[in-house]
Amino acid sequence: MRKVLVIQEDIVILKILERLVSLNEYECKAIRSLDSLSIEDQQTNFDFIITDILFEGIAPLQFVAQVQEVIPHKNLLVVTNMGQDKIKQEIFALRGVTGFYAVPIDLDEIEAIIQAY
Amino acid sequence: MNEASILLFIAIVFSVLVIYWISIAVSLVYRSNRTARLNKIELTFADVVSRYLYNDPANPITLREINTTLKNVGIKPENKNNIQFLIRLMIRTQRTILGSHFYKLQQLYTQIPPYGVSIKKISSWSWYRKARGIREIYEMNQSQYFDEIFKYRNDKNIYVRREAQIALVVFLGWESLRFLPYLKRNMTLWQQIKIVEKLYDLYPKPELKWLHRAYKTEKLFGKKLIMRIIRKYLLHGEIGYIIDNLNHEDYEVRETAIYCIQTFAVPSATMAYIKELYDDIPNATQQGQLLNYIFENSDIDLDFYMKQLYGKNEDLKLSVAEILWNNGHKEKVQEFYYQQYPKSVLNVG
Repeated sequence: MRKVLVIQEDIVILKILERLVSLNEYECKAIRSLDSLSIEDQQTNFDFIITDILFEGIAPLQFVAQVQEVIPHKNLLVVTNMGQDKIKQEIFALRGVTGFYAVPIDLDEIEAIIQAY
Repeated sequence: MNEASILLFIAIVFSVLVIYWISIAVSLVYRSNRTARLNKIELTFADVVSRYLYNDPANPITLREINTTLKNVGIKPENKNNIQFLIRLMIRTQRTILGSHFYKLQQLYTQIPPYGVSIKKISSWSWYRKARGIREIYEMNQSQYFDEIFKYRNDKNIYVRREAQIALVVFLGWESLRFLPYLKRNMTLWQQIKIVEKLYDLYPKPELKWLHRAYKTEKLFGKKLIMRIIRKYLLHGEIGYIIDNLNHEDYEVRETAIYCIQTFAVPSATMAYIKELYDDIPNATQQGQLLNYIFENSDIDLDFYMKQLYGKNEDLKLSVAEILWNNGHKEKVQEFYYQQYPKSVLNVG
């Protein structure tokens, strides 16, 4: 079964994304920070990672770089409150980021990407 | 001091310390329980919302189930703090979602608690609670309370009327502009910007019928608000209203008009009219701002600039001289300055 990892500190967005992913026939692992990630998770090759970039103790760009380095994945979607153009440009400059969605988000767009995969 | 009084003193100090420690312990236990309760409400709400937005046909969630679940975690009429927390969660969640799910969420909000808590706040004597109640109502789009809110649009408290006026915009959109001529109290710049932004977010398609009705307003804040709306929506057909206010007698209205006109490029006939209005502006700083606009948005009109060069204000003359000098008319500037010193001799070589 295809797998998705959702990392969001906001529990409401986390639960909504988890539900969205599960109903589209993906196996979903939903966590609020990287601390909750198990060793098995780090060895799983996720089809999608849907993550926030704003976490305590780490800079947004560093966080994305860390996720890219530590967790094997095919697509990386960023869903965040930090929607400034500059942040968006810098995130895309890192390469390997499939999509960037600033809150408020249209869930249909994320669903369309997941369904199209 | 004898032994008995020392013992008494120690006993008193010890009792005070014990009371102090007990109160700290009670406070710690209370806070811990409270945090756990709030986390539970947040988790339950997140679960309910996610299941409602993405309802599983195999295991659908019903409204009855939602209400029972919320009740079980403490969302009851007597637990006002819990309800207040739920309202904050509802508003926060609504702000994070767009599109079809936003409307689905609004539909949910009309059918679950918070037991009219926000509307009860409106009857409070405290302006803070009143303003907060109005805000919660429009944030959660509870349009059934519109009539209650409407009467506060001219409230003597600035925060209450500010929230009531924003509620008007949220519920009525462009139609709310028809009340503009009848507003009695001043509207701050911050409030004008907030209204324009709210209108633009919620009603991006302009309805000029209501804008034209608002033109009747004689209130200065009303004129400024209309000009800001024209600017925000880039209503090229309505810039006549801004131009008409370029030479308004009030400083701030002129300031807003000059600020707003800078967003638009105008045809040469209109620019000729703006140049006529230029002389009617009684403030040199504002004339300077308009001069920059004229320079940046039209070809060099030598007659106009020469007239200004031989005008009265020294700062403006300097600006005009700079424009002419940098745009191929150095000799005109030299001529203007030489004729000021007809008898002076060049002291060179």
